[in-house]
Amino acid sequence: MKKTLKIYRLLLVQNIKTLMEYRIDFLTGALSFIIDQAVGIGFIFIIFSQIPQLAGFTLEQIVFIYGFSLIPKGLDHMFTDNLWSVGYFIVQRGDFDKYLTRPIDPLFHIIAEKFQIDAAGELIMGIALVCLSAGAANVVFTPLSVLLFITAIIFASLIYTAIKIGTAALAFWIKVSGQITQVFYMTNEFAKYPTTIYSNFIRTVITYIVPFAFTGYYPCLYFLTGENPLFNIGGVVAVATVLFLIALFIWKRGLKAYESAGS
Amino acid sequence: MGKIKKLYFPFTRAGIQSALMYSVNMIFFSLSELLYCFVMFYVWKAVFAASGGEDFMGFDMQDMFLYLFMTNVTAYLTMSQADNAIAEEIKDGSISMRLLKPVNFNLSVLFKDIANPIILFVMVFVPMTVCIEIYRGVTAGMVMFQPLNCLFYLLSGAVAYLISFYMNMSFGFLAFYVTNLWGMGILKKILLKFLSGAVIPLAFMPTILKNILSFLPFASLSYTPVMIYMGKYSITEMLLNFGLQIFWLVMMFLLCKLIWKSAIKRLCVQGG
Amino acid sequence: MIHVENLRKEFKKTIKEPGLKGSVKGLFHPKSEMIAAVDDISFHVPKGEILGFIGPNGAGKSTVIKMLTGILTPTSGSCTINGKNPTADRKKYVKEIGVVFGQRTQLWWDLPLRETYGVLKEIYEVSDKDFKKKMAFLNEVLELDDFIGSPVRTLSLGQRMRADIAASLLHSPKVLFLDEPTIGLDVVVKNNIRNAIMEINRTEKTTVILTTHDISDIELLCSRIVMVDKGKKVYDGSLDALKSKYGIMRELDFVPEEGDGFSADEFCKGVSLKGEDFKLENQNGKYKVRFNSEKMAVKDMLTYMLSKTDAKDITIRDADIEEIIRRLYKEGVDDIG
Repeated sequence: MKKTLKIYRLLLVQNIKTLMEYRIDFLTGALSFIIDQAVGIGFIFIIFSQIPQLAGFTLEQIVFIYGFSLIPKGLDHMFTDNLWSVGYFIVQRGDFDKYLTRPIDPLFHIIAEKFQIDAAGELIMGIALVCLSAGAANVVFTPLSVLLFITAIIFASLIYTAIKIGTAALAFWIKVSGQITQVFYMTNEFAKYPTTIYSNFIRTVITYIVPFAFTGYYPCLYFLTGENPLFNIGGVVAVATVLFLIALFIWKRGLKAYESAGS
Repeated sequence: MGKIKKLYFPFTRAGIQSALMYSVNMIFFSLSELLYCFVMFYVWKAVFAASGGEDFMGFDMQDMFLYLFMTNVTAYLTMSQADNAIAEEIKDGSISMRLLKPVNFNLSVLFKDIANPIILFVMVFVPMTVCIEIYRGVTAGMVMFQPLNCLFYLLSGAVAYLISFYMNMSFGFLAFYVTNLWGMGILKKILLKFLSGAVIPLAFMPTILKNILSFLPFASLSYTPVMIYMGKYSITEMLLNFGLQIFWLVMMFLLCKLIWKSAIKRLCVQGG
Repeated sequence: MIHVENLRKEFKKTIKEPGLKGSVKGLFHPKSEMIAAVDDISFHVPKGEILGFIGPNGAGKSTVIKMLTGILTPTSGSCTINGKNPTADRKKYVKEIGVVFGQRTQLWWDLPLRETYGVLKEIYEVSDKDFKKKMAFLNEVLELDDFIGSPVRTLSLGQRMRADIAASLLHSPKVLFLDEPTIGLDVVVKNNIRNAIMEINRTEKTTVILTTHDISDIELLCSRIVMVDKGKKVYDGSLDALKSKYGIMRELDFVPEEGDGFSADEFCKGVSLKGEDFKLENQNGKYKVRFNSEKMAVKDMLTYMLSKTDAKDITIRDADIEEIIRRLYKEGVDDIG
């Protein structure tokens, strides 16, 4: 464990050093994500210029949910972005060989290799929206709720990571699985709004199958209303844990099926 | 014409072949884009429920539904991949190989790139439009499909594709000057999404912004054809907007030529 | 040290039909078949040996290397290296080996080389003292000093290959796998790398398995070669044995005098040697005769040739190792190991 942390720290420091070399890229990247989310928020404001509330929530409450959902998304994006490369080209080009000839866990190795600073765009936006809207949305922060908030954020990030690991691992069988990850990942769009606006079918899917509802709406519901902490917060922990274990299982099986590339 | 066919059709054929290899990717990609439409669809549904009225700034729910899905499929259909292709060739140096061939550079890229909309038309546009029209027909209780609008839509869509092609070619040539186009590519995509009215219909924007954006070339990419499909334009408006599209096509063509001229000089100096 | 028994690896291969029609067809009815990339290969390597592992492209060399390094799991058969099974105890096992794939780097693209070694030091848990000693040694034989501060992406191919080899040796592996380590390099760098391999083999008794297309690599480094073709082992033995078996082949080159009516057909008719023992090639008016010097003495062949034409530019050569191997690739070999 100590060794693992040391390697992670070393790679992280190196990563940040290289960022300085690619300053322009970093700025455009972070800027893109900020603009993207700002447009989304602009959309919410335009809607609320015409209606007083949406599905029973005020503007501030919707903004709180929207902002909250960006934080786990940003965290996962920041720390595990390299998983995308697995599904898009690492396996296909046979570059995965490298990870198998090193005496550390390949999954850890891949994740530690890249620190995606672009995600700062989502994180800053998310934290700013949560802070700005919390007061007007009547969210009261006590030591307990702060603790629950952090717990929810961590496990919600884990949901993203698990979905990326599980779908990236499919590349071990089908060579390229990036598009599959993309489809699953895009489902997170549903997390930004109250699930009550969707049809029953979609609500079931985003609660139990691709459980992105737990990365936004459900935990927020607890912070906004104090209702049902067992499901709203406990659910995040339970779902993230189960999903993560499934993802690791798929990954382990995938490693055995890996066929490298060429002859 | 016969010469063009002989010289350039092989590019299209090769483009279709390689696109077919990635057809599974393409289907998944359109699926993931579609998810976004569904989210917006439900958001709008909730908005209409909350406003209690039939009408939201001149759009009813039927319009909104059509707008969301058609904008998405149109943006996808008319989006040229030429920037990625060019940037890739510039980066790995294979652009010199293309320059050695006795064909017009831009045309050879165009005829290869055109394979994308051809395949997307068959594999995404046709099934999507059929589904959309069936849904519309069922909810309205009558046939809503307007063949004439659809025809004009396709015409306008073809021009939109060409605008997108020359715009993206110009963007791709930036790879001569910028080391990593990836970040800028994302920025471009996100800005385009906003400026073309894919997230928020231009009609809903503050008047000044709306007027500026409807004049800029980005509206020509998907907003104009979709408005034509929806029958939101009178004949005069349609002709006017079509004229605007042609104007932007010419401008983009000239811009592309200009950048190409300076880029080719750089290529000769740098060598590959 | 290395025991490979009846190793076999099968891959599923999709068959793509040519043309646009084929692409469309493949979309709906993909066809596939199982192909044995490695078919029943066995060999043993004692400690401290440098083994040349050769064969034509697609013969299965890399697949064998990938099974030996724990990247691929064999379909059947076994390999044991240092008493360990590569795929079963992967993490422990890879600490004892070094791997270099010539075609792609294992280093971090954006990291300066020095930092790369710093990270690898932690990954392989090399002590500070050993690390210092090793770096000094590697610096000396591979001359890393000139570029150790540069990011990997800015290195030339030769520099990158030296950097990669150094990276694979940092943790003093017991076995070193080199897949095409000299591909695309100039003579100076090639020599540099060969010296490093010899040096490490001499001082640390490192066992080396080397695949290459460069015959000089084999002649200079390898005491023994294993040759594979179409997934099967076709030769296993010393280079000398191969040479002495095929070394009896001689090559006689000549250019017939113009206008003396030399006829290749007639020339062949007058020779009693058959099959592999005799071959005549015409290369733009220059004739090459390859023949078995045990069955027909060089002197006799020369006399016979001169009786047919007043030749000029006559040369007689041993068939060199490259020729032998090319011949083996083309024609296969009856096991002489």
